[in-house]
Order: sequence, then C-alpha cells, then structure tokens
Amino acid sequence: MRDSPPKYYWEDFEVGSVLRFGERLVTREEIVAFARDFDPQPMHLDEDAAKASLLGGLAASGWHVCAILMRMCWDAFMHETASLGAPGIEEMRWMRPVRPGHILSIERTVLDKRRDGSRPEMGLVKFRFDVMSQDGERLGRMENWYMVGVRDAGAAP
Amino acid sequence: MRYFEDIALETKRTIGDYTFTQAEMIHFAQEFDPQPFHIDPEAALASPFRGLVASGWHTVAIWMKLMVADRILAHSRGERAAFGPSPGFRDLKWLKPVHAGDTLTYSTMATQKTELKTRPHWGLIGSHNEAVNQNGEVAMSFLGQVLCMRRPAGTAP
Repeated sequence: MRDSPPKYYWEDFEVGSVLRFGERLVTREEIVAFARDFDPQPMHLDEDAAKASLLGGLAASGWHVCAILMRMCWDAFMHETASLGAPGIEEMRWMRPVRPGHILSIERTVLDKRRDGSRPEMGLVKFRFDVMSQDGERLGRMENWYMVGVRDAGAAP
Repeated sequence: MRYFEDIALETKRTIGDYTFTQAEMIHFAQEFDPQPFHIDPEAALASPFRGLVASGWHTVAIWMKLMVADRILAHSRGERAAFGPSPGFRDLKWLKPVHAGDTLTYSTMATQKTELKTRPHWGLIGSHNEAVNQNGEVAMSFLGQVLCMRRPAGTAP
C-alpha cells in the first residue's frame, strides 16, 4: 500500500502519451488456482479438455487477465498516483488466449482527459491498455476512465 | 443439450446470492488490487468509502463463479448448454461500493443473438448482467458476450 504522498496527479497524464510496463510471467499453477476459485470451466483447468475446446489449449480465465492487468497497473504507476478508483470499464476484448509461459507486458495509452465540473478535486483520465505477449502479439485490449486527484484543485477546470 | 437456437431472449434469470466477507475481500485485493481501501480496514475508514470495499474485479469474478455453478446445475438436470469462450465485455459499471457483509444477488439476461459467418458452428450471445445488493440497489452491471454452439443439422430441438 501507499505510505508516501502521491507522485502523480491528473496534470501528469498527457493525452497521446504511451507508457510500457511489465513484465509478468503467467504460470499454469496460478491459471488453475484462479479458475478453481472463480471460473472452473474445463478450458481453464484441464489441458486435455482445453485442447478440445475453441481455445486449443489451457488458457487463463479472461477475468484473471483483467485482475493481472489491474495488479500490473498498481505496481507500475497506480501505487504512486492520487488514485480515486475507476467507475467501470468501457470495453475489454479478450483477443487471444493467455497461456502458461506467457510473459505479459502492457502498453498504456492516454486517450483523453477532462475535469469534473462538480468535483474540482477530481479529474478523469481515459486509458487504453494493450496486453502484449513476449512475441509482440496483442492478447487483449481494455479501455476505461480512471478517477484521479488534481494537484492544483484551485485552477479552473 | 441446449444450443444457441434454444437460448431465450429477454428472460432474466437469477444465478445466485453471494455474501462478501472481509477476509475474502482482503485476500483477493492483496493479490490483484492492493489499494488501501480494499486491504486495510483502518485506511478504508478514512477513505470516501468509509469502510473496506471489495475490489470491483472481485465483484465481477463472483458473477463468473455463480454463472459456472448455474451451468453445472443445469447440466445435472440434463439441460447442458454448449457455451464456449467469450470475446470480451462492454460497459462494466461499478455503481455502489460492496462492503463486508453485503449480499449481492446476481442475474443474467440474454439480450441479443448473432450468427457468425466466420464460425458457422457457433453463435454469439449478448447478455445484460447485474448484481443487486440487499437494499435493492444495482451495485454492478455489464454487457457480456459468449459463444454458444449452433444446433447441429438434423438434430431435433
């Protein structure tokens, strides 16, 4: 958790900027453990059943991919950001299976930003996150707005 | 077996209730979403949430857990539906904080069926999904998508 003042505020996110972070190895053990708890479908639990499925082999639950992305964001920048959470997710696309042995990295693009007229202390930043494999394949893409504290809340929105 | 053709539209179905415990909320968030208001009860009291709240990813992962349990139950009644993977979701909204002890009632409703030119044996089902808390407030909602097998030619409905 955060034990020092935030380093990044709304002002620090520049529209069009790209940040790359990772890497994060995905293991068979964690894929199966998450699936047992939250998504116990054979394609996430059992190699043979997964081979016979549309995924063509063991693959992480899409919700697990979202949770891993969340953790990678926390480690890369959110723990140092005046984060106020997210109101939701506009879109998540699970484009290709995330498999044991994948080493994930993230490309974060700032798509848009705005102030909230009724809450001067808060701003909104819209991100796109591309989840990439070590081979440069795009495995997933997420877009969402993120609520973040404003450094100079007195400045006009 | 229930196929794509057998899925009824606009019929809302409750898939289960789930009561969130503080220990589980902290366990999930420590691994995936360690924001102070998800893992530290004291820090959470000082946050705008005024108490520990579940990670939004935890709230939605429980939807998946209950969906799979519901399908297994249907399977045991001989009503197995041939679902495949999901290409993603849209408009996930975390509308109300989920506190320890809250009970959410989860539901799903198929809203759209799309035949796929590229995959003649599969169709895409769109769904509206939500979780309502014990006060009748919608805490979470999203538009899901899942592949479902088409009825093989020559088999009776």
